[in-house]
Amino acid sequence: MKTRKRLIVLFLMPASLVYLVFFLIPTVWAFYYSLFHWSGFGQSMEFRGLGNYTELFHDPIFLLSLRNTLFILVVGGIIVFTLAFILTVLINSGIKGKKLFRAMIFLPNVIATIALTTLWAFIYNPSFGLLNSLFKLIGWEAGAKYTFTSIDHIFYAMLVALIWIEVGFYLVLLMAGMDKIPIEYYEAAKLEGANQWQMFTGITVPLLWDVISVATVLYTIIALKIFEFPYAFSQIQPPPQIYTVGMYLYIMGFGKRDPIYRLGYATAIGVVLLICVLVLVLLLRRLMRREIIQY
Amino acid sequence: MSAETIASTQSQLRQHRWDRIMKWIRHIPAYLVLGVWSLFTVFIILWVIISSLKSNNELFKDVWALPTELHFENYTKALFAVEMELYMLNSLVVVLTSVVVILMLSAPAAYVLSRKKFKGSNLLTLAFIAGIGIPVPLLFIPLFIILTAFKINNSLFGLGVLFVALSLPFTIYMLTGFFGSLPVELEEAAIIDGASDFQVFFRVMLPLGLPGLITAAIFNFIGLWNEYQLALVFLNDPNKSTLSLGLYSLSNGMEYTGDWVGLMAGVVIVMIPTILLYIFLSEKMISGITMGAVKS
Repeated sequence: MKTRKRLIVLFLMPASLVYLVFFLIPTVWAFYYSLFHWSGFGQSMEFRGLGNYTELFHDPIFLLSLRNTLFILVVGGIIVFTLAFILTVLINSGIKGKKLFRAMIFLPNVIATIALTTLWAFIYNPSFGLLNSLFKLIGWEAGAKYTFTSIDHIFYAMLVALIWIEVGFYLVLLMAGMDKIPIEYYEAAKLEGANQWQMFTGITVPLLWDVISVATVLYTIIALKIFEFPYAFSQIQPPPQIYTVGMYLYIMGFGKRDPIYRLGYATAIGVVLLICVLVLVLLLRRLMRREIIQY
Repeated sequence: MSAETIASTQSQLRQHRWDRIMKWIRHIPAYLVLGVWSLFTVFIILWVIISSLKSNNELFKDVWALPTELHFENYTKALFAVEMELYMLNSLVVVLTSVVVILMLSAPAAYVLSRKKFKGSNLLTLAFIAGIGIPVPLLFIPLFIILTAFKINNSLFGLGVLFVALSLPFTIYMLTGFFGSLPVELEEAAIIDGASDFQVFFRVMLPLGLPGLITAAIFNFIGLWNEYQLALVFLNDPNKSTLSLGLYSLSNGMEYTGDWVGLMAGVVIVMIPTILLYIFLSEKMISGITMGAVKS
């Protein structure tokens, strides 16, 4: 029994220690920092109470970044899951080359974010980009002159690229879940005269429910903390139109070309983000809780 | 064989062929949609590879044309003049060491958490997994302070420490799922034979769990190779840049240099290692994603 205790301590200690010092403690500290006015590392901190938070909710750029993030979460999420479902059903419709299609659709997920944003910079570039050149080639004047990365369009241009990546990820998750559903269920349903849609809503969705709920929680977390993709997408001087909460945090903390160093304020943004994750994940888990169907 | 049976076999054959054609026709929409989606991805990647071998003039003149001669100097320039060779070395060192350390920390922890129940073990598992939900940008500033306190800020070592810490939740989540799905019989047999807990872990669990460990390793390698957000925040010395961060600076310099083909060569240099890994190990990687999420 003694060696068993020793094993537990020895095996858990290193991971727990690193996790505690470089993950959990900084998380808790963030709450503390968010209460201060603090204008640079090495500068003195001035207690502000909840001042950073009240300022945040009157800051139009923060509200814009929050709106953008929620747009990625809700509208982006609906599009991603719809497309992932459609592609999953098509891939599972008995065609050949199932694994090859899955591998190609998933491919963007193994490529570096910054390489992907650069690829899309080539697609959207107004002077030699693929899209404008394509429109020119087919003689569509208006399309050839369209600037996809102008400040009014850049957010949506980014979202399209993001969807292209994410669909592959959720396709893989949904396919893995679907492969576990016994084919007999569908055969029996077919004998009873069920159509495709009835089989989808009556068999696929209920039996896939736990996968769908894990996938939704995962997408929520990923969408809320998104920073790398839109930040790299907009290159060195991102306009506020493309800000996400994560980007605004980074810009308030570290600045774009010129440093800003509003450290307390930036941390308060992070705390709001964490609270959003907590609330939404708990809410989703509650909403999506159903009896898991054993099969 | 009578004329009648021949006729009936013929009609059966015809029916069979007809069925196959019908099946094929029914599948046309599926092939079309999946084909267009997949080819789009493959096409863009091929287009960048081909364009990276053109000259800037050729690229601007006609983006669809093939290069008239192969400009490999785009690559030598990206590697040596822009110093991507150095960044690649930095990335290799920090990513490979981090992956090894991640496994060294996660595997024993995941083993204990999935196999040895003790007071608070569920709570500890939950504490690790909760890390998946903590948004990394929240940690930028507190981690900056901590790294400075340890005097490892702006160093590859410090970056490696963060890589390890921030990869623990998902890796432990993956591995507890994996270890939990392994049969207990072999362990029990080893215990009956008088093996100690340590021996059980090293002689039974590790070999049995090897496929899971390899998947976790590939998964972390690709994730860390591709990441640039931590490098962006915690490294500001260009000599210590990782490959992803190097490409980020290169693409930000475009408005001054205008060397688009050079940037494309940079993109290819960053992309190729993970794409090659993926070509050979795609099944393993894909199983990694589903390891935690889809319970069997």
